[in-house]
Amino acid sequence: MLEVKDLRKSFGAAKRALDGVSFPVRPGEIFGFVGANGAGKTTTMRIIMGVLEADAGEVTWQGTPIDFTTRRRFGYMPEERGLYQKMRVAEQIEYFGRLHGLSPSQARKAAADLIEQLGLTARANDAVQTLSLGNQQRVQLAVALVHDPEVLILDEPFSGLDPLAVDTLAEVLRGRALGGVAVIFSSHQLELVERLCDSVGIIARGRMVATGPVDELRAAAGRRLRVVVADAGPDWADGLPGELTVENGRQVLTTTTKEDDQKILRAAMEAGQVEYFGSEYPSLSEIFREAVA
Amino acid sequence: MNAVMLVAGREIRSQVRSKGFVIGLLVTVLVMVGLTYAPKVFGGPDSYKIGLVASERLQLPGDVEVEWVEYPAEEPARRAVLAGEVDAVLVDGARVLTENQIDDRLALMLQTAHREAQIAAAGVRITPLVMEALSPDARYADTRGDIAFVLVLVLFMLIFGTPMMVAMGVVEEKSSRIVEILFAAVRPWQLLAGKVVGLGVIGLINLVVIVGAGLAGATASGLAVEFPPGMAGIVAGVVGWFVLGYLFFALCAAALGALVSRQEEVGSVMTPLTTVVFAAYAVAFYAISEPTGTVARVVSFIPPFSAMVMPVRTAAAPTPLWEVLVAAALMVAALVAMVVLGGKVYERAVLRTGARVRLREVLGSR
Repeated sequence: MLEVKDLRKSFGAAKRALDGVSFPVRPGEIFGFVGANGAGKTTTMRIIMGVLEADAGEVTWQGTPIDFTTRRRFGYMPEERGLYQKMRVAEQIEYFGRLHGLSPSQARKAAADLIEQLGLTARANDAVQTLSLGNQQRVQLAVALVHDPEVLILDEPFSGLDPLAVDTLAEVLRGRALGGVAVIFSSHQLELVERLCDSVGIIARGRMVATGPVDELRAAAGRRLRVVVADAGPDWADGLPGELTVENGRQVLTTTTKEDDQKILRAAMEAGQVEYFGSEYPSLSEIFREAVA
Repeated sequence: MNAVMLVAGREIRSQVRSKGFVIGLLVTVLVMVGLTYAPKVFGGPDSYKIGLVASERLQLPGDVEVEWVEYPAEEPARRAVLAGEVDAVLVDGARVLTENQIDDRLALMLQTAHREAQIAAAGVRITPLVMEALSPDARYADTRGDIAFVLVLVLFMLIFGTPMMVAMGVVEEKSSRIVEILFAAVRPWQLLAGKVVGLGVIGLINLVVIVGAGLAGATASGLAVEFPPGMAGIVAGVVGWFVLGYLFFALCAAALGALVSRQEEVGSVMTPLTTVVFAAYAVAFYAISEPTGTVARVVSFIPPFSAMVMPVRTAAAPTPLWEVLVAAALMVAALVAMVVLGGKVYERAVLRTGARVRLREVLGSR
């Protein structure tokens, strides 16, 4: 298990980037790391990869603190993509495989497999600089995957990809997780995180505000009752629990109450035409907005 | 070690494959071969065309080729001189006509030959003087100077140019953040060592090709006959000094390059290195003409200047072996210090992207 324990990091006296970040990621689990810009995602990932040093706290893999030897079995995709622009695609993937300790034949095979899997076959012998950004990103991912890492640390791997590429990448990550890899990725695409991840961690201003399996987080946030009423006056819900908003000219009441639902329904029917009445769990985006607010 | 070789291999491959490398090599080969033929082409003509008007041919020295042209009268001969058809015309065995001021060498030869002819006609026989230089230096002073001159340029080009490539490579990896991925696989010293070794091999290939082309050209053009004894030692010394100087400056360049995050900043951050190399170049240039002077002698011991001045001094004049060895030992000591210092700066600075990192920050205690 990869454990991030109480990481703290300040840049200078004024800027505290991480203020006690902790979360676990199990082998075979895809962990979605979400948070607003500047919340501390990249800093956390850079500390895991040893690019930055934490002021306090530690990261362990299988119970022992991560060092250089452990990290060689990790795959990393940094926030700012970095490849040798003039090197050819296949050659570059192979090179990183070799640096991670693969034999020449292993590296060649791993590179060939990834190139096929990621749909880069036609560009295998082109220089990276001639590829579109989306394709360069696939190469970047291949570089992170080539040595069959035990842990994947991916900073915004989906940003800038078209929907088809997103599907390919999601497929690849799922496959790796099934093979027992612990995957951490950060993203702003919350629907995607919800769909793909076994668990999520929400970070805000350097602290984890929620961590756990998506279903548990949603359940913990509780069922919500949602009522949509057309042609109702703005004061129809006076005295009722919950929050009233206007969507497309319709009055929408959202509440977490469970006892008063029949009372609310009656009030709504009296106020106007009820278009929707039902209870649902909040989406990850809603949880995120609440947690970050 | 394996990682170092992998990194070095990548550097070598990416250089060798670039068009610039191949074209650069071809151009240097052409320039070197051209240089070895230069004395023949520009060294003044060894052959003359001389017109005769009512004169006997003169006995000129054996190594000078002369084509004699007879003219019936002075007037057509004058026209031929002005038209550049002949270099000079001897009239009545008494006057020499040339288009412009006569070339000193030709004037001396004609004067001497004329005098000897007169003396011989008077029945006096003289044995020519036999010239013999006693100092071994004197015989080769000119050639040594030429060799040293070429060496200064070659060493300057390579000892300055190759470390610049190291710096560019370091900044490329830093600015594109490839280092962040690389450091998950290799240690900083392995990446640095691989880069320095790989580009060093490229520098050595350049040096060997340049020196090889020079020697081959000299042999073909016949210039090699005038090479001083101990040429092999001079060449070996040049290679050795290049390796020492390159390693020193390459590590320095890598450390300085690691301080900045953008290619545009490489030039300005390299100023200290550039200054030192140019100073060494200036002294080395001076050492060509004054190889045994105090300045050249003293500076040829001071690292890193010694890397350029000592090989030039050795080429320009015979230099005691102990002096070369002492200078080399000092250079090696400086190199060891640079390995420690440069390695430290590189490792601490190369992951700090953004604003230019100050040396003080990375050298301070941590």
